[in-house]
Amino acid sequence: MSPEIAFTTTEAMICQTARLVEPKYTYWVGGGGEPILSILLAQKHRYPDLVYVTEDGVVGPNPMLPFEPIMTMVASRSCYRALAWDNMNGVQWHASVGAIDVGILNCLQVDQYGNFNSSLIGGTYERPARRFGGAGGANEIASLCWRTILITDQVKRKFVKKTDFATSPGFIDGTPGARERAGLPKGTGPYRVITDKAMFGYDESTHRMKLLAVARWSSVEEILANMDFEPMIAERLETIEPPTEDELLVMRTQVDPGGRTVGSGEWITVEVD
Amino acid sequence: MVQVLDSGTREFRPPDPDGFREWVRENKSRELKNKVISEREAVERYVADGDYLCIECCYTNRGPNSLLREIVRQRKKDLWLAGRFMYFDATILIGAGCVSKLDVGYFGLGRSLHKAIETGKVKTVEWSNGAMTMRLLAGAMGAPFAPVRFLGGTDAFRNSGAKLIEDPFTGKPVVLLPALNPDVAIIHAHQCDVYGNARVFGTSVSPKDVAMASRKVIVSAEEIIDAEETRRNPGLTTIPYYFVDAVVDAPFGSHPGTMPGLYGSDTEHIIELMMLANADKIETYLDKYIYSVETQQQYLEQRVGLAKLLQFKRNEVIKEGYR
Repeated sequence: MSPEIAFTTTEAMICQTARLVEPKYTYWVGGGGEPILSILLAQKHRYPDLVYVTEDGVVGPNPMLPFEPIMTMVASRSCYRALAWDNMNGVQWHASVGAIDVGILNCLQVDQYGNFNSSLIGGTYERPARRFGGAGGANEIASLCWRTILITDQVKRKFVKKTDFATSPGFIDGTPGARERAGLPKGTGPYRVITDKAMFGYDESTHRMKLLAVARWSSVEEILANMDFEPMIAERLETIEPPTEDELLVMRTQVDPGGRTVGSGEWITVEVD
Repeated sequence: MVQVLDSGTREFRPPDPDGFREWVRENKSRELKNKVISEREAVERYVADGDYLCIECCYTNRGPNSLLREIVRQRKKDLWLAGRFMYFDATILIGAGCVSKLDVGYFGLGRSLHKAIETGKVKTVEWSNGAMTMRLLAGAMGAPFAPVRFLGGTDAFRNSGAKLIEDPFTGKPVVLLPALNPDVAIIHAHQCDVYGNARVFGTSVSPKDVAMASRKVIVSAEEIIDAEETRRNPGLTTIPYYFVDAVVDAPFGSHPGTMPGLYGSDTEHIIELMMLANADKIETYLDKYIYSVETQQQYLEQRVGLAKLLQFKRNEVIKEGYR
C-alpha cells in the first residue's frame, strides 16, 4: 500500500495559491482567511523576502506568527519588521500607479467573467436575504492590481451565471475594453481562480473562465457538476498535486498552528508515491 | 462640457466645501487651550442624535473604544455610520440601536448585525473601504470630490453615490466620489497633549484625514503628554490641535482590541463578543460591558481587572516603531 497524505480542502487551496507566488512580484492580499495565509505560506516556506501589502498600509512585513484571532492587520505582530508603514490610501495609491502586481482575494460568488460578490445573497439590495460585510478592500484590489487571483470553494452556488451582487469587477460583460470604459486602469483584470478541486484562468479573447488544471483527487466531470455555468476547457489540462509534507508542516506549525482556518473544510486523503 | 457617463443611485450628503470652511472658521478654536474632558462630557457635548459618525480604525485595533462605549451608554440615536474597516464597531452600535444608516466599506462581524440590515432596520449604501477613505480625503482637502480608478463596472458603483465622467484632461472615463465631511469623528491616539496635538503610531486607516474632514473631533489617548514634548519632536504629530475639539485621557481606551506597541488584545473578551454576536445575543454584551458600568474607569476595574491589563501589556512584546 502506498503512503497517504491527508489535508483539508482549505489547505489544498492555500497551497495551490502559494505555489503561484513569485518573488519578483508584489502582492496585495485580503486581510483575512485564505488570501493572507497563502502569502504567509509562500513567505515562510520559500521566499523570506517576499513583499506583500495589506489595506492598513503595511508594506513588506515579516510578521510574527501566529496572529491572535482577527488580528491580521494594524496589530504589531502583523506589521512586524516591515519595510514601510503607510495607511489605507497609501497602499491604494501604490496599486493605483501600478506598483502592486497581484491581488489575492476570496469571495461569496464569482461569474464566468470573474466579477465577484462579497456583499449579499438573495433578496433585494434594500432587503437582502443574507447580508455580508461588503467589499472591504476587494474592489480596489481587483480594480488596481495588474492581476487578481480569487480563492473559493468548488461548489455550484459559488460559480454562478450571474452574481447576486457584483461587489468587485472582473472583466465586467467580457467585451473588449469593458474595464477601461468603467474607469479602471488599462491592462488589469482577473488572472486565476483557485478552488479545492481546480484552477481556472480566462480566455484571452472572450474573457470567459477557462479550466486550466484539475486536482489529482478530482475530475473534470466533478468540477463541471459543481458549477452553474460551463467554463471553457484548456486543450491540455494540468494536474494539481496534493500539498507536500513540507508545505503542510509550515502551514500547520507556523502559519496557522491553531488550525482556525486551515482546519476548516473537508478532509481529503490521497495516495502519494 | 464634462459629460456624466453613469451615476450611482443611492443617498449621500451633498458635498458642501464652502459650508464646511465656514463651519471650521466659526467652530474650530485656534487658541492653544486645555481641551481635556471625560468620555461622558465629550460625547454629551459633541455627539448628537442624527449625526454622521466616523470612527478611525476599529474595535479590534487602536479603536476609540471607550468613546464608542460611551456613545452606546448615552443611547445616541439615528446615527449615519461610516462603515469602513469595522470589526465589531458596527456590531455594537447597531446592536444598541444607535444607527439608522450605514455606508458600507467593510463591517464585521456577527449575525445580529447582518440581521438588522436584512430586516430593514438599518439602510445601507455601498462603497468600499478605499472609496470611503478617498471620500474622507476629498473632505479633508476641502474639495467636492475625489477621482479614483476603481469602483466602476460593479453593483457597488450602482448602489453608491459615485459618478462616472469623461475626464476633461485625458478624455477617458474616470470615477468621481463625493467628498465626505462627517459631523463627528472619534479617534484613539497613542499620545496627545492637552491642546489636541495627537500622535498615532504604526499603520492606520486615515486618522489625519478623518480629523481634518470632520466637523467635531474627539481624540482619546493612551497618554496625555506635555506640550513641551510635542514641541521637542514635531515630526511625530499626526493631527494638529486646531482640528481637535476634545481630548480624553483614556488609558486602555482600545481594550479589548490591541494598542500597537503598548498592549495586546483581550482574546477571551473578543471571542465572547463574537459568540454573542453570532448567537444574536449582542444585548447580553451591551448589558455586561457597557450599560452596567458608568465610566471607562469602572469598566477597566470591574469588568477587566488589573491582573489582566498588566498581562495584555506584557503580551505586547513588539515596541519597535511605536514611539
